[in-house]
Amino acid sequence: MLYSFPVRAMTALLILALNVPAAAKPIAFANGTTIMAEYGAGSMEEVQAFYAPWYWLSLGAGSLRLDSDEMHRTRDIDYLRANYLVRRWNLEDAQANVFVWGGLGMASGSDFRGHTIDREAGFQADYETRRVYASVMSDLHESSAYSHRIDTLQLGFAPYAHDYTDLATWFVLQARTYTGRLHRGVESAALIRLFKGGAWIEAGVTNDGKPQLMAMFNF
Amino acid sequence: MRKFLVLLAAAMLCKAAFAATIEMDVNGLVCAFCAQGIEKTLRKFPATADVVVSLEKKLVAVSTRDGQDIADEELKRALTNSGYSVKAIRREDESLADVRARLKANP
Repeated sequence: MLYSFPVRAMTALLILALNVPAAAKPIAFANGTTIMAEYGAGSMEEVQAFYAPWYWLSLGAGSLRLDSDEMHRTRDIDYLRANYLVRRWNLEDAQANVFVWGGLGMASGSDFRGHTIDREAGFQADYETRRVYASVMSDLHESSAYSHRIDTLQLGFAPYAHDYTDLATWFVLQARTYTGRLHRGVESAALIRLFKGGAWIEAGVTNDGKPQLMAMFNF
Repeated sequence: MRKFLVLLAAAMLCKAAFAATIEMDVNGLVCAFCAQGIEKTLRKFPATADVVVSLEKKLVAVSTRDGQDIADEELKRALTNSGYSVKAIRREDESLADVRARLKANP
């Protein structure tokens, strides 16, 4: 690890600030850049930056830190990743997508020595109207030292149908599980999501009373 | 009579070539990011003067600069390459300001 997570997070936030106003989807739109930072209730923190040359492909990098609630195990992974839109359904009042991704990175952790090569694979399926949102996501990281998967289910509803220039408001319920002895049980969270133009902010609290925060910018 | 028909045809061709606004019905328009991507793509055309996107009406409207036009095929390709499905393209005399006002008055 060249930098600690706080330094990387601060750098990402600085980049965000500099670019404003310059599902959560891994690909926002063609020729678009996406920057995302997430704080997941003390269990995970992640920053990502992607550029999409086409609407069906984005390439970028990310940094993931995991803090286990079992024996305070930590894991830091810096990775390069490609996201691919497998299928999109453009319906009259809805859109549905299936994305997959894969990547390679370097990892260090408190339960193994030195660095190891990290391999990542995942998928996301989502369905969205202007009032209802559902997504399921699975993200697998493996190396010679560990294997863990983060599965996330989100269900959201909007109290009103927003338009392009409006502030969109969503209430989202989330359930997340971690394998690889990173977190015991299901971590659930209630979130409020706000977005307008290319800016997206999400905040909420988990069933453990811990905060969950996410910011994403597309430009 | 023949002169009248020729003039009528010429007028219709002129209307098609220099329409004030091009409107497109688009499927899959459900979020601001969709609209943002489409707007960004359409603004890259040199002929584009302004763009309006309505999620409510599933409508994308483009006004072109004086004397310029964007062919239907180019518009369709641009939106398809942005990841959306174009259902219909039509040319209207209404200005984009009027389209914007109409959408605001009747969301």
